[in-house]
Amino acid sequence: MSDRKLPRLLQAPAVLLLLVWMLIPLGMTLYFSFIRYVLNSLRRPEWTSPSLSNWRGFGNYEFVLKSKDFLLAIQNSLFIVCSILFLTVILGVLIAVLINKAFPGQGVVRVLLISPFFVMPAVNAVLWINMILDPVLGLQGIAVAGINEFLDGLRQIPVLGGFFSLWPEFEPVSFRATQTSAIAVIMMVTWQWTPFAVLIFMTSLQSEDQQQKEAAVLDGASTWSQFRFLTLPHLGRPIAIVVMIQAIFHLSLYAEIEIVSRGNGNKNLPYLIGEFANNNIGAASATGIFAVILANFVAIFLLRMVGKTLME
Amino acid sequence: MGRIVLDQVSKKFGDVEVIPPLDLTIEDGEFAVFVGPSGCGKSTLLRMIAGLEDLTSGNIEIDSEVVTEVPPSKRGLAMVFQSYALYPHMTVRKNIGFPLRMEKMAPDEIDKRVEAAAQSLNLIDYLDRKPGQLSGGQRQRVAIGRAIVRDPSAFLFDEPLSNLDAALRVGMRLEISEMHERMQTTMIYVTHDQVEAMTMANKIVVLQAGVIEQVGSPLDLYHKPQNVFVAGFIGSPKMNIFSGSEAEKHGAHTIGIRPEHTDVSMTDGTWEGRVGVAEHLGSDTFIHVHDTGLTDMITVRITGDISVKHGDKIYLTPQADQIHKFDAKGQRIA
Repeated sequence: MSDRKLPRLLQAPAVLLLLVWMLIPLGMTLYFSFIRYVLNSLRRPEWTSPSLSNWRGFGNYEFVLKSKDFLLAIQNSLFIVCSILFLTVILGVLIAVLINKAFPGQGVVRVLLISPFFVMPAVNAVLWINMILDPVLGLQGIAVAGINEFLDGLRQIPVLGGFFSLWPEFEPVSFRATQTSAIAVIMMVTWQWTPFAVLIFMTSLQSEDQQQKEAAVLDGASTWSQFRFLTLPHLGRPIAIVVMIQAIFHLSLYAEIEIVSRGNGNKNLPYLIGEFANNNIGAASATGIFAVILANFVAIFLLRMVGKTLME
Repeated sequence: MGRIVLDQVSKKFGDVEVIPPLDLTIEDGEFAVFVGPSGCGKSTLLRMIAGLEDLTSGNIEIDSEVVTEVPPSKRGLAMVFQSYALYPHMTVRKNIGFPLRMEKMAPDEIDKRVEAAAQSLNLIDYLDRKPGQLSGGQRQRVAIGRAIVRDPSAFLFDEPLSNLDAALRVGMRLEISEMHERMQTTMIYVTHDQVEAMTMANKIVVLQAGVIEQVGSPLDLYHKPQNVFVAGFIGSPKMNIFSGSEAEKHGAHTIGIRPEHTDVSMTDGTWEGRVGVAEHLGSDTFIHVHDTGLTDMITVRITGDISVKHGDKIYLTPQADQIHKFDAKGQRIA
């Protein structure tokens, strides 16, 4: 027994610290979610300090569920996370396979590919929304204006011009609008996180057994079959890791959403929590508990799905 | 059918010529073994036949058809790799059936062939396991099964037994020989182990630095090595080779005598020496003899047991008709 006691004793401080680190915030969130607790109230000053006498039961949860933004926030969270995962995994695998072959300048290309990952999220969002996606001043606006100008030129051609005048003028898309702001967020986060996927897949590809590939070549496997039956199963575990890590990170996206549209029509759960937390801590805590449940659900679901399809 | 002809085949990696142009013919149904020290180019040669390496010059013919430009999968060859190269995510059944699946064969037909192959290799109970759950010998068998189902015109083996332990190696050696007797298909087998070469081959090709030193049957190579390299490489323990005045007595620059062709006496003989280490194997005894004045150490092999102690005086007499003579260039003198 004693040879077990000592290691446990030595582990205890770390384990205890981790437990405290995790359990206290979770416990406080749970506690706040069951009481009335606001930061400012002239009418009911007793609600401004947390106390069991302000017990509200599931009232905060009911309030959150009934609020008009909640369903939208859940939908948006899932839509944004799933889209980003889908795009980064596909782009990541394709780029990793592409740059895994030796070519001149490989080192430089790899460094350049990783660089978006070093940009701060808020900076990334400001750059994209102002310099790239802006309908007037951004690359998008300039490109659309250029294309329209070119079409105008074509319309001046004597006979053919008649054909081109049937074409409509292109209109730039505003990515700050209710319907499109989620798309903007997906684009900028995909750009930033694809390098992460590439990095993980690239290291994994380098450990791929070359003799297996040669055996497959002799067995008559085409390049596609080698990719499908050897490379993709080999990438199964790294894909699961990328999906898992990114799901956790992107469920808590905040800066991009704030900068693109201030949550206008494009709230996700963290943003909703932030809005509630301006005053209503109880409701914010209840939303937080919903977010915990959603995160667990997403993680388990995604891992199962990835595991099953790739590991055969 | 599977007659393989190499015609002035050579290989360069950059400026380094690993295989100078060489000619070689392997007849249909032959068991050819490429043997040589590591780095002699034997694996490269095999990979060139398989199509995994391009030729720098020359041509390869299989059944009188030039296949130099034919992709590996269309050459009708099957290869067994040293690392087995099994597909780790697939079951044994899928591994063996993979080449057939790539040929777009009907699933029933694949199942039939896979089961037949598994039956002949004693793998029938393991069909639904993954390679990670198998022992080394079983993995090797799966790799062979994957080669058999394709019904190839020739099998290529790239040091297939080097990852197995000694006991398994002997067993698999027999199984592969047995398989060759049964199927009578051409096999090319690469190894650095001359025992494997001697026991399995119809034809041994001894390579050194990409050059073929000698081609012949195992006993040819044993009894009539063409040069000093082959003499030293084939046979275990190694032939004793030395030059000097004793060699000149026999009218040669260098002479060699195998350990088993030297008679031993404690009282008199041609050469006198001192016993070093004696290795008692029960059936044989290897005695390492020092201070003969001929070379550092002479190894002799005696059938049965003999009681000698370290430091004893010992006399050796070579069997006159078993002395191999070589000229100054290391070539055999008839």
